[in-house]
Amino acid sequence: MKEKILKVLEVLKKHRVDYADIRVNDIMEEKISTENLKVRNLSTSRSRGYGIRVYLDGSMGFAASQDFDKMEETALKALEIAKASRLIQHRPIQLAPKEVVIDHYETPIKIDPFTISKKEKLDLLFEAEREMRRHAELFRTLGSMDFRKEEKIFADTEGSFITQKLYESGCGIEAIAANENDMQSRSYPNSFRGNFGTSGYEYILEQKLVENAGDIAKEAAALLEAEECPSGVFDIIIDGSQLALQIHESIGHPIELDRVFGSEADFAGTSFLSPDMIGFKYGSEYVNVVADATVPLGLGTFGYDDDGVKAQRTEIITKGIFKNFLTSRETASLLNQPSNGTNRADGWGRAPIVRMTNINLLPGDKELDELIAGIDYGFFFKTNKSWSIDDKRLNFQFGCEIAYEIKDGKLTGKIFKNPIYTGITPEFWASCDGVCNEKYWKMYGTPNCGKGQPLQIAHVGHGAAPARFRNIKVGVADVK
Amino acid sequence: MLNKERIYEIIDFVIKEAEGYNTQVLVFSNEMGLTRFAKSEIHQNVFEDKTEVIITILEGKKQSQIATTLYDKEGLRAAVKEAINNLKFLPEGEVELSLVSSPKLIEDEDFNKELDTVFNIEGRARLIKQGINLLEPGYKTYGALSYGIMNVAYGNSIGIKRFMKGNNVEFNVLVSNEKGGTGYAQLISNRPGDLDIIGAFKIAYEKAKMNRNPMRIKPGPYTVILEPLAVGDLLTYMAYIGFSGKSVQDHRSFLTGKKGEKIFDERITIVDDFTDENTLTLPFDTEGYPRQKVTIIENGIVKDLVYDQASAIKDGVKSTGHSINMFEIGGMPLNLVMLAGDQSLEEIIKSTENGLLITRFHYMNVVNPRQAILTALTRDGVFKIENGKIVGAVENMRFTESMFEAFNNVIAISRERQRTKAFIGNYYVPALKIKNFHFTGNTNV
Repeated sequence: MKEKILKVLEVLKKHRVDYADIRVNDIMEEKISTENLKVRNLSTSRSRGYGIRVYLDGSMGFAASQDFDKMEETALKALEIAKASRLIQHRPIQLAPKEVVIDHYETPIKIDPFTISKKEKLDLLFEAEREMRRHAELFRTLGSMDFRKEEKIFADTEGSFITQKLYESGCGIEAIAANENDMQSRSYPNSFRGNFGTSGYEYILEQKLVENAGDIAKEAAALLEAEECPSGVFDIIIDGSQLALQIHESIGHPIELDRVFGSEADFAGTSFLSPDMIGFKYGSEYVNVVADATVPLGLGTFGYDDDGVKAQRTEIITKGIFKNFLTSRETASLLNQPSNGTNRADGWGRAPIVRMTNINLLPGDKELDELIAGIDYGFFFKTNKSWSIDDKRLNFQFGCEIAYEIKDGKLTGKIFKNPIYTGITPEFWASCDGVCNEKYWKMYGTPNCGKGQPLQIAHVGHGAAPARFRNIKVGVADVK
Repeated sequence: MLNKERIYEIIDFVIKEAEGYNTQVLVFSNEMGLTRFAKSEIHQNVFEDKTEVIITILEGKKQSQIATTLYDKEGLRAAVKEAINNLKFLPEGEVELSLVSSPKLIEDEDFNKELDTVFNIEGRARLIKQGINLLEPGYKTYGALSYGIMNVAYGNSIGIKRFMKGNNVEFNVLVSNEKGGTGYAQLISNRPGDLDIIGAFKIAYEKAKMNRNPMRIKPGPYTVILEPLAVGDLLTYMAYIGFSGKSVQDHRSFLTGKKGEKIFDERITIVDDFTDENTLTLPFDTEGYPRQKVTIIENGIVKDLVYDQASAIKDGVKSTGHSINMFEIGGMPLNLVMLAGDQSLEEIIKSTENGLLITRFHYMNVVNPRQAILTALTRDGVFKIENGKIVGAVENMRFTESMFEAFNNVIAISRERQRTKAFIGNYYVPALKIKNFHFTGNTNV
């Protein structure tokens, strides 16, 4: 394979390309879903192919195929596409410089998830489902596990040759209570198929699905009888899992430099940020955010991005001040900077675009009790249920699974259903006045981040701990 | 991309390898070229050739599925072996699925040769260049123009075969003024007559010109005229949360317990009609079942739902041919057509004393599926109407609204309808004038 790749790169060099790379992906996925103590879905998939990216006279072309006998033909197709791009190219695309690298990277794992029998995985999910049902009368119970192994080869005309083997594991359970008028659910360790990390099967065991099943079952049943969350302006605490999505939508996306330059203007949207806004007050002094593609377990952790740039940690917000965008070689060159290594494709059939790595809110110094003690009347919001944000990433609205009442600095034990909160990005982050410490900090995986045309689904991560926000608009009072 | 003969060879090979088992094989073989432009320049220009083979083996209440892009003999043998091995430990599922047994053959073609030459790599670039040349200084354009060819085939171990060949062009364009103000247009079709790329550029450009110096208005209930792109977005999410038998079985749907009930204005009729030439032509589903025309809402009354095989068995009905090979969804309408009204959009605007004209929505999501509450932001053109005339642009806002309320508050439905992109395929919908549509927030700092 290596010989074939290098030969095709030589052919492209003879055509005087500015730059070209070949990326081979071999992706294996396993998805297991159970529902009401039955198998809902057990499927595996294998996807193997390659994509060739060519820059010619500052214009881009990309072609992808799964036929390895046609690699040279595919390369010439990419070249033909680049030539067509030249028809509308006022400003030649340039790539920021990078080091030539020959290296191999593997996700550190203890247990290869593909060596564990599917039966063992199903048995664990069934046990967790039974445990949920033991604790409450439920309408439905769900369980899921997802595993992914990706072997990658990256080679370019500059001389880099990088191989990677990346593993992902994830799991979750959900308890659903329903009656004639309503349906309520609670999920663990997160909603939408649970939590995910770059890890082996040990990640599944560490989640302790069975041990946590009873609590969410009882809460789901209680939510069915609970009152609607009140509307108004309140102080709230947001748990790490919901905060992960808040970070994703209101920090992760707006800092993608390709969005800032308009690459997604017609589709996923742009950003309220502009290149000259380094130094902008993004939030309060308690808000410290990094993009870290090296953090253990992060779903956005890897060895090298799809430009062949090494994974790195970049300051994004320090004490509330905006410091850096997420960049690729192409976008970084427009700011005369080196890339900070965030250019990724979702498979062999797609060209890489700027994607989040792990966008982490760094832990603060508070105990959860301290945050609660500082609220006269408000709520503790947990677990995402819905999300939406405008095309500049300013006005957001999130729904959560549950809200716990806080009164006179204490949790009262009362819960509310259908909590919603809404805000404007910089105002929201400015209202943060405390973040929990390392003890509460956890990595959350988001395996469904959509962007790009044709659509690409990225797997990204967010580290977060519960945090407190003042005077937040809760609920939508006048909507039935 | 593989042709019909080669795809049938693959299907026959898999069935032979899995001899003795109830086997079905689904093959998607696609080619897609997409040219993306931003700031009036091409910035991404891509091509993908992909074939995927999905093998499903059924045994009593067990079902084992393997998908692979390795369609050589070795790759297919390995996939079949794994699918059979899974049966050894798999516990039973809820229902016993069977292989589709009739009709023996469905073959269809909705392929327009003319698109091959007009929308090839160079053709796409030239069309985009023509559009860019329309713009005055100070305006930039952003968008994507794609051309795809799709072969879908199905076969099973009792000799059933299905094949469909189609092609399609999708175009979306945004025009933006450097001082703010955007306009947008979208096309999706495989009929050359529908694909006026330059016309779409002009629509987006005109809207961008109108969408200058937007005024800020207070959130609250407004009379709105939703253009088809906005209506299509609402329908996409309503279909996702509520139009399938499984969503009702799971108590997720806002139609739960409402069959036969009048839930919308009597002028609302929504049919999933694959025979309508304005929607995606795919006469069978991923289980090989012939797709049926299903009336979901008729004169505001809940009629029928769409089913895949498993959800149909549970309700004691027949599959309507709406499987998309996603067991958790259980069926999805791909061809929603909404009945048109008797007024033109122009007449609807003229008859509006006070209202807002909405171009499209952004980032819609479900707030409460049982109450059909959706939320989204307006995007690329909100215009204030006073005394039947557009008097200016309005800043974007967020709506949060129950579709029970919205579709009961319909004042007018347009005569004109438009193809709008859905999660899969496209719908065909009119514009709607709705009173008391709730906006719950502004978007600017």
